[in-house]
Amino acid sequence: MDIVWLAVFSALLIGYFALEGFDLGVGLLLPFLGRDRDRRDAMIGAIAPFVLANEVWLVALAGVLFGVYPSLEAEVLLALYPLVVVMLLSWVLRDAGLWFRRRIPAQGWRSFWEFAIFIGSLGLALGWGMALFALATGSLSWTGLALGGFVAVAFAYHGWTFLGRRLTSFPGGGSPWLSAVLAAAPAVIVLVGAAGYLLEHSAPSATLTTLGLMVVPFAPIMVGAQVLVWRTFGKADRMPSFF
Amino acid sequence: MDVLDIARLQFALTGSLHFLFVVLTLGLAPLVAIMNTRWARSGNPVHEGMTRFWGQIYVINYAMGIVTGLVMEFQFGLSWSGLAHTAGDVFGAPLAMETLVAFFLESTFLGLWIFGWHRLPKWLHVASIWMVVLTAYGSAFFIMVANSFLQNPAGATRVGDHLQLTDAGALLSNPQLVFALPHVIGAALFTGGMVMMGASAYHLRRRTPDLELFTRSLRTGLVAAAVGILLAVAMGYAQFSVVPEGKFEGNTGAGIGLGFMILLGELLMFVVLLVMLPMIKVLPRWRWTHPVLIAMTPLPFVISILGWMAREIGRQPWMITGELTVADALSPGLTQPMIAMSFAGFVGVLAMLAIVDYVLIVRVVRRGPVGTALGARPAEPVLSY
Repeated sequence: MDIVWLAVFSALLIGYFALEGFDLGVGLLLPFLGRDRDRRDAMIGAIAPFVLANEVWLVALAGVLFGVYPSLEAEVLLALYPLVVVMLLSWVLRDAGLWFRRRIPAQGWRSFWEFAIFIGSLGLALGWGMALFALATGSLSWTGLALGGFVAVAFAYHGWTFLGRRLTSFPGGGSPWLSAVLAAAPAVIVLVGAAGYLLEHSAPSATLTTLGLMVVPFAPIMVGAQVLVWRTFGKADRMPSFF
Repeated sequence: MDVLDIARLQFALTGSLHFLFVVLTLGLAPLVAIMNTRWARSGNPVHEGMTRFWGQIYVINYAMGIVTGLVMEFQFGLSWSGLAHTAGDVFGAPLAMETLVAFFLESTFLGLWIFGWHRLPKWLHVASIWMVVLTAYGSAFFIMVANSFLQNPAGATRVGDHLQLTDAGALLSNPQLVFALPHVIGAALFTGGMVMMGASAYHLRRRTPDLELFTRSLRTGLVAAAVGILLAVAMGYAQFSVVPEGKFEGNTGAGIGLGFMILLGELLMFVVLLVMLPMIKVLPRWRWTHPVLIAMTPLPFVISILGWMAREIGRQPWMITGELTVADALSPGLTQPMIAMSFAGFVGVLAMLAIVDYVLIVRVVRRGPVGTALGARPAEPVLSY
């Protein structure tokens, strides 16, 4: 059972990087490629239908961390305390930016929340790099910013290939599959290194079995819902976007 | 204040803030789903207007529910690592179910509903909002399972220095859960209904063009509020049969919460059931009643917070009753600068966003159904709402 849960944990983390990676990447590209209002609307409109379905991968990951690796959750979060606080605030700001940006038609209001989307995406990208670096080396240090820089560039490239596929007016190119692999690579490497440690710190097998029995009936619905998102929004169209 | 006080205050403030948005989400979701279903069956433009207008208020409110919820979830690990250490094997299970299954599905289906307008087949779109409702109530169930475990650690046995899950059935049928869950659901329906009534009364009072939409909405809101308050009060009193003796004695915070919740709750129950419900036919027309309805809108939120004060302050000094104190649950390495920094960040940012969110909701209410962004068609001019 502990192997199964390790697989679920890994799938959620890799899935988060591969999927939310392009949302955050588009947020990073916003000030550089979003020349005018229409272009920014198009960029955010492109990721809009996916954001809610993508960011839940991390929420689910946190749930697994608490349920399956309770002893690690506290240890990891406490060791990375200031970083986790900054990443959470970045996440909150990015989300608020998306939800609030189009609610009032004033230019200053939109610009403010577009900046929040950019800063939030940047904070999360750099934060993930630093967090993964700290998990791999065992301590939080500014050297991790280098990996943060790599994650930010990888996410931005992932956003670029996504926009290229999504928007006809966008010059972007490259394969979104390849950029997804690139965006998820740091997470994969850390997971490979941490697999043994994670297995050792799993909750007792009774808890794992109970959790497994509770999750299994819902797994097809969860997969189905994610598939439905991609089937419904996979093709770009001219519907007005809520975000 | 020492580290413990700040960490407690942080959890109390972010938790209360979270619940203010959650209680409205839970109350409005089923009402919006019913409106959407009616619209799908009738094709009536009034039903479409209701679905989009109340749906827009629902989703703007939901946004704050997400971000406050994220901060809450991570606080368990940041500030209260003793909880995971002592009871992670038990407490973690419902929390994991809430995030891994219920919230995962809720958010995914909400995305499908918000962005699936004119893209999804009609009935699949309706099914999406019903899945949102179902999973939102699933979330409420798992969170209340986790909270009830803190109130009364049923289904677990102490092994050495930590608790182990020995009876999942007992965890899920905790006496602290069976009355408290419907009590919370009642409070949520009451809140959703009161907000619908207050907003509808605003438009009816000002004689805005959407007379039929707000007449129907006011009546729907009244029915929801009546069902909600009845359920909340009945299940509130039922809880006295399972509350440990002396829980509120000598505990000022819990006593104040309990006393004022009962006072306000009963008063409102009499007003809603004995005064407003018999007037359901004429209430939309009697404009002199509308300022009263508008003024009553904040009350369900106040009562909700009072209720949580009674339940949570009433648990002090325990984190898990009889097993782990709040002081012992505090993360061992947590220092004053750390908690001060996260307190300023979380409480400051979330409070600012909450104010912005309420301003936006009030703006949507005042603007009315014209130019609603939610569900807009490509040709339809959108006023960025």
